Amino acid sequence: MSSYNELIKNFERVRSYMREFYVYGFKSRADYDKKSARSYDDEKRRMESILGDYMSFVRTPEGKNVFLSIDSRTSVHNPFYKALKAKSFTDGDITLHFIIFDILHSPDVEFTLAEIMEIIDEKYLSGFEAPMMFDESTIRKKLKEYCSEGLIITSKQGRKVTYSRSEHIDTVDIKDALDYFSEIAPCGAVGSFLLDKEEKTDSSFTFKHHYITSAMDSDVLACLFDAMRQKRAITANNLNRKHDEPRLAEIVPLRIFISVQNGRQYLLAYQTQFSCITSYRVDYLSNVKPLDVCDNFDDLRARLDDMQTKMWGVNTRQNAYKQEHLEHVEFIINVADNEEYIVRRLYREKRIGNVEKLDDHTYRFSADVYDTTELVPWIRTFICRITQMDFSNRTAENRFKGDLKRMYEIYGIGKEVSE
Amino acid sequence: MIFSELYSVYYNTVAKILSAMVESNVDSKTAQKIVEENAFGDSAFTIMNAIKSEKWQVMTRDFTTAIEHKPTMPLTTLQKRWLKSISLDPRIKLFGVKFEGFDDVEPLFTQEDYYVFDRYNDGDNYEDRTYVGRFRYLLNAIRNKTPVKINMKNVRGQNIYAKCLPVRLEYSEKDDKFRLITSGCRFLTVINLSKIVSVARCNGEFTPKEHRHQGRMDTVTLKITDDRNALERVMLHFAHFEKQAEKLDRKHYLVHIKYDHADEMEMVIRILSFGPLVEVIEPEPFVELMKNKLQKQFDCKIK
Repeated sequence: MSSYNELIKNFERVRSYMREFYVYGFKSRADYDKKSARSYDDEKRRMESILGDYMSFVRTPEGKNVFLSIDSRTSVHNPFYKALKAKSFTDGDITLHFIIFDILHSPDVEFTLAEIMEIIDEKYLSGFEAPMMFDESTIRKKLKEYCSEGLIITSKQGRKVTYSRSEHIDTVDIKDALDYFSEIAPCGAVGSFLLDKEEKTDSSFTFKHHYITSAMDSDVLACLFDAMRQKRAITANNLNRKHDEPRLAEIVPLRIFISVQNGRQYLLAYQTQFSCITSYRVDYLSNVKPLDVCDNFDDLRARLDDMQTKMWGVNTRQNAYKQEHLEHVEFIINVADNEEYIVRRLYREKRIGNVEKLDDHTYRFSADVYDTTELVPWIRTFICRITQMDFSNRTAENRFKGDLKRMYEIYGIGKEVSE
Repeated sequence: MIFSELYSVYYNTVAKILSAMVESNVDSKTAQKIVEENAFGDSAFTIMNAIKSEKWQVMTRDFTTAIEHKPTMPLTTLQKRWLKSISLDPRIKLFGVKFEGFDDVEPLFTQEDYYVFDRYNDGDNYEDRTYVGRFRYLLNAIRNKTPVKINMKNVRGQNIYAKCLPVRLEYSEKDDKFRLITSGCRFLTVINLSKIVSVARCNGEFTPKEHRHQGRMDTVTLKITDDRNALERVMLHFAHFEKQAEKLDRKHYLVHIKYDHADEMEMVIRILSFGPLVEVIEPEPFVELMKNKLQKQFDCKIK
């Protein structure tokens, strides 16, 4: 018997399927060899139920390939947030949820546990043919859970503990801000939860260059932020491309680095074991657990601040003696008349380094960085005008030039000359 | 923290059914309609079944309930902390909203806790009071569907005027800029907000036609050679487009990407950034654009 339920108990599994369906989308059922066929069928069905409008499939000789295709410019709200709203629960959870908030319907109303139990039995469950039975510990546990979520507050009068709901905070006036920040702020899913409470109206915003995959990492990200605010070390499972199984990392999270050009999110963290600051992909992290407060958190973050002036992306390279290792990168471009926009590009797109005007048509960019290879994709965007380059990392420079040669070959450039 | 049933579609849907029941009589058909409008594709069966079998004891199978008040839930600590965080974001000034009751709330994150490392440096100036004023005016006009008169500078720095209906504000995270999407004005369908000099109400003398900005969509086909993790990099980089991928063999993949024709040159340089691992297969005019760039580079005779 299939025990399929569209709600999700373990988000980690669905997280990896969503990414496979959305980011890749060319795999057939047979390619999902790591998981069982039942698991694939269940996750696919869940995705169809939750994200049905965006699911497509194509038949290939290898079988049916299911994929998610979303033009994020046309969707005003991130569709992946829906998956975060599909957490499974028990019959008791949902029953107690609505009853407790009906009993504690206003912040002025307060009851003890015994009073709440009595009201539940007498008023709310007596009308059912087979009424549920909630014991004291179940209700106490639920109230405690809601206290830790900030939904309910307790007050003590002598030995008597009473429960009441937290004060209401109105969010109606900030609907536009929620429409905007729920899409662009970290952990934007929380904004989406707030919007669910409001009357549904059209959003006044759309988004260009909008990467939506980070939604799937919201829970991990929130745990990392929480640890940072408390200056705590953590352990987390880290899935490295080189290993099949995740490895446990004990680290001090220092800052989240976000890319708005590929949607990736990285954690820059201090590796206790190797005494260095390094980057982790947030989408590879799971099961974040807080450890002790880190006494030198502020010093470590100051160290990262200093390192950022030499980082193009997220790589922090040090030599075997933990000494800083910097590479010099320099290239010169030619700018024709009426191409001021190219000069503007240099200034607005450079993250670190300097731009120098050599003459009316020639500009030089130079920087000292940890990792030259991180600049290469950007430098390639100036193809058609690069006249000179000088990398202290000769391997990187030779590879750049070799790649250029391969591109000439692919597109048949320079054939006439060489022939 | 975030993945919790408290924010679930099921809880919200049941809250809506209960709200309707508190207000008036609800039958199975009404409940089913609420479920279909608010929950997932497969939810109707599960939710209606739970009600009929009285598994969730908040309403009987005859749609009576002991719940007396429309269900509401206070904000969770997580929600308050996230709101506190956005109240500290410089862009919140655009909205002119006040956050009251958050004095004792610890933010979930601050600007110190994250860093967008590849955003362009010439984003809109959110400290500029006239910019903020225009933003709010246009946001209001979008909400109220009010036609406006816009005075802006063109690329040559000349003043131009346009009457249009503001439809949406489009934000680019990469550029950190807002653009106004308009309708009813054929020659100005997308306007950079920072280029607008002034905006005013269009007093009744303008009836916009239903002319919406619909960019011409093109498709480019790329062949990816999966060296140096190129496949993942390409698929993530172009993840925000409507696209379809197919595997050719163990190392090669084809990806078809739909893009707005107006962004063609941006697409060219984005593809160039992947070097020889991404080859444009079609359409031919796009291939020519790539060849043109490479021919010019070849002529530069790089030293």
